[in-house]
Amino acid sequence: MDELTIAMPKGRIFEEAYELLVNAGYDLPKELDDSRKLIVEAPNEKIRFILAKPMDVPVYVEHGVADVGIAGKDVMLELDRSVHELLDLGISQCYIATAGLPNTEMNPMTPRIATKYPQIASRFYRGKGEQVEIIELNGSIELAPMIGLADRIVDIVSTGKTLKENGLVEYDKIVDITSRLIANPVSYRLKQDRIQELVEKLRKQAVK
Amino acid sequence: MTIEMFEKPLGMRDDFPFIAKKKTELRAKGTKIMQQAGYDLLQTPTLEYYETIGKISAIPDNALFKLLDNQGETLVLRPDMTSPIARVVASKLLKEKMPVRLAYYSNVFRAQKREGGRPAEFEQMGVELIGDNSLYADAEVIILASTILKELEVESSRIVVGHTRLLQSILMEFGLDDRQIEIVREALVSKNSVKFEQIVEGLAIEEGKTESFKALNRSKTLEDWKQWINFSNPEQAALYEEMLKLQKIIERNGLSGSVTYDLSFVSHMTYYTGLVFEFYGAGSGFPLGNGGRYDGLMKQFGLHVGATGFGLRVDRLLEAIAPKQEDAADTLILFGEETEQQAHEQAQELREKGVHVTLQYAPAVQAIEEFAGLFREVIRLDGALNG
Repeated sequence: MDELTIAMPKGRIFEEAYELLVNAGYDLPKELDDSRKLIVEAPNEKIRFILAKPMDVPVYVEHGVADVGIAGKDVMLELDRSVHELLDLGISQCYIATAGLPNTEMNPMTPRIATKYPQIASRFYRGKGEQVEIIELNGSIELAPMIGLADRIVDIVSTGKTLKENGLVEYDKIVDITSRLIANPVSYRLKQDRIQELVEKLRKQAVK
Repeated sequence: MTIEMFEKPLGMRDDFPFIAKKKTELRAKGTKIMQQAGYDLLQTPTLEYYETIGKISAIPDNALFKLLDNQGETLVLRPDMTSPIARVVASKLLKEKMPVRLAYYSNVFRAQKREGGRPAEFEQMGVELIGDNSLYADAEVIILASTILKELEVESSRIVVGHTRLLQSILMEFGLDDRQIEIVREALVSKNSVKFEQIVEGLAIEEGKTESFKALNRSKTLEDWKQWINFSNPEQAALYEEMLKLQKIIERNGLSGSVTYDLSFVSHMTYYTGLVFEFYGAGSGFPLGNGGRYDGLMKQFGLHVGATGFGLRVDRLLEAIAPKQEDAADTLILFGEETEQQAHEQAQELREKGVHVTLQYAPAVQAIEEFAGLFREVIRLDGALNG
């Protein structure tokens, strides 16, 4: 049996994804509380986990250092990497939306959009024929409209709580997001049986 | 933007001697195998017209390096070798000479939009077999490519085979129109199984056939393909029959264990019309090469003949080849004022035996021990003791 390397996103998605694998019948170490570890072995299943930043998962998989990975659709849309998208796991459901201060119009001269997702934001506004300036930020996107940096933000919304707490309202919903099982195209061919087995086991567990 | 003195344009690389050496060996091995199979090497120009090769090559516009000539015409650095060879064959080589077997080992240029380190210029080697419609031609190029992979000792190499026309016919059988087929094709090209299944579920196809349609994505053997073939459709029956024959030939050549028959495998290159295939190996995370039947490309040059071929990427082959024990390195002869003639004679003698010999006037070297350390054998005629 070939060793399988799985790139997992650290943080929120990790717990749900790990649980999914355990429920699918994989014999994995129970406790993974040492969060500083970057590589975790599951020798009983000949699986090795690489714990990565969510945005980096598709990069590891594209280069083949991880055979498969679990990545949010938001990251996939933003990065457009050459990987197999095998299964919608249905976990970590959320969506990408535009938001801003209530009852505001976009500045007609220089409409500015703050976001962590410049590609998705640019594609969305271009698709609507709107000329906007995209401002890429790395966090606390909600701050941008409050301090006058941007008219709108494009960001992930899961419960809407964060928006509300910062006095923002949602304007347009762009796309629904869930986590996906992805695979390197070469690994997909060289370890097809193992990967297919993983797909079928996870398919039964995937949240509908 | 200021350019640093050592900088090179994005995606351009220097091949240092150890890489250049590996490439030379690989080139020698590869071209020998192709020539032994009756393929003649050819070279085409580095620059081509955008209007012809640039457009026909099916490489996205933003991946082309474009420039203007002094007539104001747009030129491209050749982005592939298949279309220039198709042009050569269509314009120069006589039809009576068909089938034509041509091979190449050339650099091609594709601008990279991602990380600067990815090569925008890389070498490809491959063959084109033009003027033969038969499955024997397809079998010949697949076997030739895998012979090269075997000779280069690529670990666990694998070939995935699909069939563009057969897939098209089967999709029509499911009741899809051209627009729907295109949508399905796009999902398959982008390797997006999630999207593929969503599309299938959204299609108004015959009841009970949805699962069978989805299974297209998981086929591995020709036996798997059987379930979708309508044997009363003469085209499908004939194509499937050909695939079985192809499989027999492939098996006879000892490749049965390394071929996956995946009906959902399609190429992003739209000019492939029949068989399509791609090569993989354990050492590289990217495909090593691909190929297929491209009768449609020949048509664009006004030639209605069958054509098939493959191309392998040299940079990825180098990644996939198991690292080998370095060959015996070279000999160094260090000489002084008095021993110059003696050194030359000794070098001559060794070179005739096939040894690589570097001659060096010792006083001109600053760090003599370090320099001598680069060689496997050192002969000191400069007055110091042989070490």
